[in-house]
Amino acid sequence: MIVLASVPPIQLDAHTLNSVYATLPLWPLFGTVAIGLMLAFNRAKEMAHYAVIAGVGAAAVLAGGVFYSMLNDGAAAAHGPGHADAARLMLVSDPPAQHAPADAHAPAAAHAPASASSAAAGHGAHGDHGPHILRYHQYTAFHWFSLGLIGGQTRWVDVNFFVDSLTGVMLIVVTFVALMVVIYSVGYMRDHHGHQEEGYERFFAWLGLFVFSMLMLVLAGNFVLLYLGWEAVGLCSYLLIGFYYQKPAAAAAAKKAFLVNRIGDFGFALGIFAIYHFLSPIVQPGENPLDYATLFKYVDKLETMSLWGVSAPTLIGLLLLCGALGKSAQFPIYVWLPDAMEGPSPVSALIHAATMVTAGVYMVARLGPIYARSPEAMDVVMWVGIIGAVLAATMAMAQHDMKRILAYSTMSQLAFMFVALGVGAPQAAIFHLYTHAFFKALLFLCAGGVMHSMGNIIDVRYFSGLKSVLPSTYRLMFIGCLALAGFPLLSGFWSKDEIVHAALDNRPWVGYVLLFTAAMTAYYTFRMFFLCFNGPTRTPPEAGDHPHDSPPVMTWPLYPLALGAIAAGFVGYGGHDGFFHKYVADSSMVATAAHTSAAWPIMLISGAIAIGAIFVAFARYGDAPRNEPDQQLLGPLWNLWNAKYLVDEIYDAIFVRPLRAFGKLLFDADRHGVDGVVNAVGATPGRLSSIAAWTQRGALQGYAVAMVLGLGLVFIVWRWLTPATGL
Amino acid sequence: MTAALTTIGVLIGAVGLYLLMPGARLSSWKAATPLLLAACALAIGSSLQAFPAIYDKVAFSVFAAIGLLGGICVITNKQPVYSALFFVLVVVCVTGLLLLMQAQFLSMALLAIYAGAILVTYVFVIMLAQQGGTAAYDHTARSPLIGVLAGFVLLGIISAGLGRPEGGPPQIAMPSLAADAGAGTVRNVGLQLLTTYAVAIQIAGVLLLASMVGAVGIARRKASTGGIEEVD
Amino acid sequence: MLAAYLAIGAALFILGLVGFLTRRNLIVMFLCTELMFQGIIVNLVAFGRYPLSGPPTLHGQIFALFLLVVAAAEAALGLALVVLLYRNKGTLDANAWTLLRDA
Repeated sequence: MIVLASVPPIQLDAHTLNSVYATLPLWPLFGTVAIGLMLAFNRAKEMAHYAVIAGVGAAAVLAGGVFYSMLNDGAAAAHGPGHADAARLMLVSDPPAQHAPADAHAPAAAHAPASASSAAAGHGAHGDHGPHILRYHQYTAFHWFSLGLIGGQTRWVDVNFFVDSLTGVMLIVVTFVALMVVIYSVGYMRDHHGHQEEGYERFFAWLGLFVFSMLMLVLAGNFVLLYLGWEAVGLCSYLLIGFYYQKPAAAAAAKKAFLVNRIGDFGFALGIFAIYHFLSPIVQPGENPLDYATLFKYVDKLETMSLWGVSAPTLIGLLLLCGALGKSAQFPIYVWLPDAMEGPSPVSALIHAATMVTAGVYMVARLGPIYARSPEAMDVVMWVGIIGAVLAATMAMAQHDMKRILAYSTMSQLAFMFVALGVGAPQAAIFHLYTHAFFKALLFLCAGGVMHSMGNIIDVRYFSGLKSVLPSTYRLMFIGCLALAGFPLLSGFWSKDEIVHAALDNRPWVGYVLLFTAAMTAYYTFRMFFLCFNGPTRTPPEAGDHPHDSPPVMTWPLYPLALGAIAAGFVGYGGHDGFFHKYVADSSMVATAAHTSAAWPIMLISGAIAIGAIFVAFARYGDAPRNEPDQQLLGPLWNLWNAKYLVDEIYDAIFVRPLRAFGKLLFDADRHGVDGVVNAVGATPGRLSSIAAWTQRGALQGYAVAMVLGLGLVFIVWRWLTPATGL
Repeated sequence: MTAALTTIGVLIGAVGLYLLMPGARLSSWKAATPLLLAACALAIGSSLQAFPAIYDKVAFSVFAAIGLLGGICVITNKQPVYSALFFVLVVVCVTGLLLLMQAQFLSMALLAIYAGAILVTYVFVIMLAQQGGTAAYDHTARSPLIGVLAGFVLLGIISAGLGRPEGGPPQIAMPSLAADAGAGTVRNVGLQLLTTYAVAIQIAGVLLLASMVGAVGIARRKASTGGIEEVD
Repeated sequence: MLAAYLAIGAALFILGLVGFLTRRNLIVMFLCTELMFQGIIVNLVAFGRYPLSGPPTLHGQIFALFLLVVAAAEAALGLALVVLLYRNKGTLDANAWTLLRDA
């Protein structure tokens, strides 16, 4: 029960404060429950959004508190060497394991970033680092269920929260974006006359449930709770993609998202089983091998274990990666994400851009100690990232649907994060996750605004020149596009640059691929932007006569996001000595990347590339041409991109159809074979008894006939038995 | 009486009766009449050799033939009233047969009770319940083929028993009518009834009383409380 | 001579039986049972008059007399019941009464 301890600036009893912080994920859930009660008592459904806004707002305030407390904790640790804490754990990122004495952590913590940057020279990806210090707080709310009496003590699976600085960052991202999106939705989920859409309260209830699930995922202190959050966000994603369930496309997309995620989650579950399998024999009585803290404590011993010739960290890492690939829409199971754009735009912004899809990145970063001990798994992560980045960027080049372009760009940016994880720079990945959340949410919400104004038309072929029609959306979207393109000094620039830098330092060719992909990103982003806002003003008939900008409730939440898109990157200013890296230095992320080159040249190069790509885009699409110059230039290649590499069709042919046929076979076997036998067994007595019932028809004369025939039979038998005596 | 003749007679009778049944699929009045007459002739003719006197032969033939034909009319006539009246004819013929068997008192009692009492009740009930002449259910028999088959199978079996070679003690030659001490005169029957069967006759009286009380009780009951509840 | 009377009795009995099995009018069915009684009375008297052994007796006739009593009682009760059934359903059709049927 030690938790979020020692928060000097707010003088409150530590336990009380921790209990308050522990309620963090519950507030959005309260909002959902409140909506449920409103529905149950049939009251004030049009006020539904207030409950969720209040819940998410409360969570955001608490998240700020958690973030701040971790900040102070780090400062206190750095300045107070005598501060001993039982919850602190010294992890060593390279074998052999060295457990530094507990009182040595403070200088080590202060030293870690410096040693990371200085000691990497010439040692490649797995350089010789100083001891990695993981500072965390664990709050155990209650025992959830027991795994039985093991080693004389009950092995409990707890509801416990694991809080370190990585958690702090994730909480800020999730609650801040969620708050903005929920406020935005108040305006978005209405028609042009301000009337609420059907299912308005349902939408907010599910948003609240989603935020709760995502916070549980982020705060979870063990893998069972993580899995709960993991599946719950998947459920909410399913519910919200299928929000317009009357639309067949939306219903199909929801099903697809859910089913494709099952593939990944199968591997994820196996990964959790593998952790239990390896750790269960070696943990102390009373420890749960599925707790993060326990895993990190024994992670060094894992390295010597293996199963079927695969080392334990590799096996666990690859299996868990399956789940991450599904959730974060990475190659090869990314196909659900573009279809998920059938959901309402706020959902795309919150779930399918800023938060849920980053869960895979978060999970791999959180399990840094595992991945750091498996170069093979890291390589797989990196390769997945490279393939996904290029694939998604090329597909985004040739789409017409704004939201799909953004979806592919999301996939591409997530792939950037995976590359960062793969080359051993998880801090860069999380940094990019953090900046990406702001500008991608902003972009999706702007796209939602465009869609709202254009009467649910989002295809860039049907409108252009909206600069004058939607001026504020134009400005906000311009900021978002610049940030995504990596325009110098905007947030996307800092984080993307850091990833490119880490890649260049460790696998130079990966860095070149990323630079090329970044150029494509800037290009397709501005292709979309120019097609939408430049050129002659055209609007589709669905937009009505006077399309106008979004109402204030939809515009104001975009300004904080835009501010984030502009300025959020500055927390990373200064690279590894900057605020962000210092803040997350004592999290469970383990950096193995070496840093050999200076930052400035790469920043100049990537900035130049972004600006250059934007100008190329302006040259080709600046006046919103309607004849697709790229298609004419690239021809079949562009068509292949437009057709998304036919991956959906290939999957359909390889997996969906055979499975469907197999399912139909089983269904028929069940219905005609098994059901036939069962029905026959059931029908036989019925048939037999209907024969018997024929003799009992209730008619007097029928019985008389039977009696006469029976009498005749008796006579015959009697005459046959008695000797012939005659009369 | 050979088995072959019996079989033929029973078969002819069955076919004829089936053809005469109301509502039978192959109903044919013209075909049925000769068949039934032949069957009656066969049944009666094969028994006649047992009667020694010509008077007995004639009387038995007449009573039996009219009785059987009357019975056929009872069960095939579509008018219930005619059925009842044909039944009177059957009773009269049976009375004649009983007289041939020296049952004078019984024959008169039968005539009085059946033709006089029971049949009158029947006619009253028919007139009470069926004032509109014939009803639809009088025109169609209920599964005539099965009914006729069942009945004549039984008749065949019984006839086969009758046709067996006669064993046991030889028949005693019958004394003449007047000198017959065992004749069913009023005196003889009365003596027997009031001596040997004195208790039984009392019980029979009680039975009649009970049935009369029961009939009155049933008849007074209202239709709605008729004792039989509709299930459906 | 016994066989001759028994044959006539059997024929009357079977005629009554066939009528009972095939006619749908309750009164006619009931009448057919009386026809069966006639056959039985002929049988009983014939057995008494021409016994298989010993001299003729009056027992057959007296049995027939009791049969008359039973027939009278039966006719009284039976016809009362027929009237009651008719009052319940307004028809004399035997097919209308199938209450013992389960479905």
